[in-house]
Amino acid sequence: MNIIETNQLTKSYGDFTAVSRLNLHIRKGSVYGFLGPNGAGKSTTMKMFLGLTRPTEGGFQIDGKTYPGDRVAILKEIGSFIEAPAFYGNLTGEENLDIIRKILGLPKSSVSDALELVGLAPFRKRLAKKYSLGMKQRLGLAGALIGRPPILILDEPTNGLDPVGIHEIRTLIKSLPQQFDCTVLVSSHLLPEVELMADDIGILNHGRLLFEGTLEDLKTSAKTAGFPTDNLEDTFLAMIDEDNRKRGGAR
Amino acid sequence: MTLGIETKKLKRTGYLPAFLGGGLLAAAFPLVNMLVRSETFVSLPGDPFQILMDANWQMMAMLNILISICGACMMYHTEYADNGAQKMDVLPVRTGNLFLGKFVIAVLVLAAMVAMETAVLAGCALYWFPAYELTMPDLIKQAGFQWFVTLPTVMLMLVIASACKNMWVSLGIGAILVFTLTIFPQDNLVLSLFPFSSPYQLFAVAKQNSSIPLFLGVCAAETVLFGLIELILQKTRRCVA
Repeated sequence: MNIIETNQLTKSYGDFTAVSRLNLHIRKGSVYGFLGPNGAGKSTTMKMFLGLTRPTEGGFQIDGKTYPGDRVAILKEIGSFIEAPAFYGNLTGEENLDIIRKILGLPKSSVSDALELVGLAPFRKRLAKKYSLGMKQRLGLAGALIGRPPILILDEPTNGLDPVGIHEIRTLIKSLPQQFDCTVLVSSHLLPEVELMADDIGILNHGRLLFEGTLEDLKTSAKTAGFPTDNLEDTFLAMIDEDNRKRGGAR
Repeated sequence: MTLGIETKKLKRTGYLPAFLGGGLLAAAFPLVNMLVRSETFVSLPGDPFQILMDANWQMMAMLNILISICGACMMYHTEYADNGAQKMDVLPVRTGNLFLGKFVIAVLVLAAMVAMETAVLAGCALYWFPAYELTMPDLIKQAGFQWFVTLPTVMLMLVIASACKNMWVSLGIGAILVFTLTIFPQDNLVLSLFPFSSPYQLFAVAKQNSSIPLFLGVCAAETVLFGLIELILQKTRRCVA
């Protein structure tokens, strides 16, 4: 059963089409890796799911709910982290999460739960503006994970983290579907990371979906098309290159 | 809930101290004025409170407006500096309610400032005009009017601050509006109804011209109108984002 489905989802800015007729199918309880080069439309798609930007054409369903009518109901089910950590620098990590907790109507214990989950508990009383980049990233993740929402949308969640942090967050994301019965849509430029944590992947280039399916499906499809299949990075680069060639050399 | 959240967001921003400081500064103005040149005013004919209002309110109103501008800029700088506003946009809360929460906080602290200033004016009137009798209902009406005619300015400034991610841009627009509207003739009724101009209007003058209902009606309409503009801006931002 798909928890997120898009139907010909399109977003244009004047002449430029950021997302073109996208048909995504994200299975409930899976980790879906969203791949694509810079400007492929990954963040725009995620922003549309969160109501941060309005689709130009087409639509999407999240857990049977549609945008814009069910915007608030959709947001109640989603924990998100988009592009960069978003917080109030004048508040401590704990106070930042407390604001989110109040809006979501969660118990007070959910704040410490989220802080523990991302390893920020010892720094709960420190002002968020004084956090290091990695700690800000963790705070953003805690803001997404608080209350253990059924759907998580994470855009480049390991940006700015050191290798240990990347490993921790990857392990955490991978464990979420089993631990909290949630679905994760995660985008990353770190292809090996996606390979290690995603059940399904979607590859986007210039707003168009080039591939969607499991990693096994990708290998089979890549083999058929004559692309290298040794690792995801090579397959991904070959697919993007081929698509760019077909589009007339556009990069 | 929204009001509590918005209040919490202002922690450590210096918002309340700024209003307290601004209020004290504005309230100190008539006091200093009377301390250094009381003989100029005590010899004037007419209602002592109105004499003090005539002599001081222009400066006091300007301070109130400037503090309201700074307050609006501080509120939205907190939202935009570390992307806090974006987090609010992806939470199940209506952004219109958050804006309303900010407006309520801004008008409440403005009310505290106006009350403090009116109290000092009343104190000066009673001290330097010993025979003067001041009634509480008159004082409340007076303060209420001065507060109410400032509401469109507060609302418009919040709309401007919410539209500009760079605090210095909204601060600049606010400062330009303050000084532009100040040079308009204050005796022109139409111009005096504009935000940034209406806070200078005096209760006694409006009462004399029977224009109190006009001021209250127009200021209420302007406040609602700017609030609606903010809601439209919020929707437009989603479409063009």
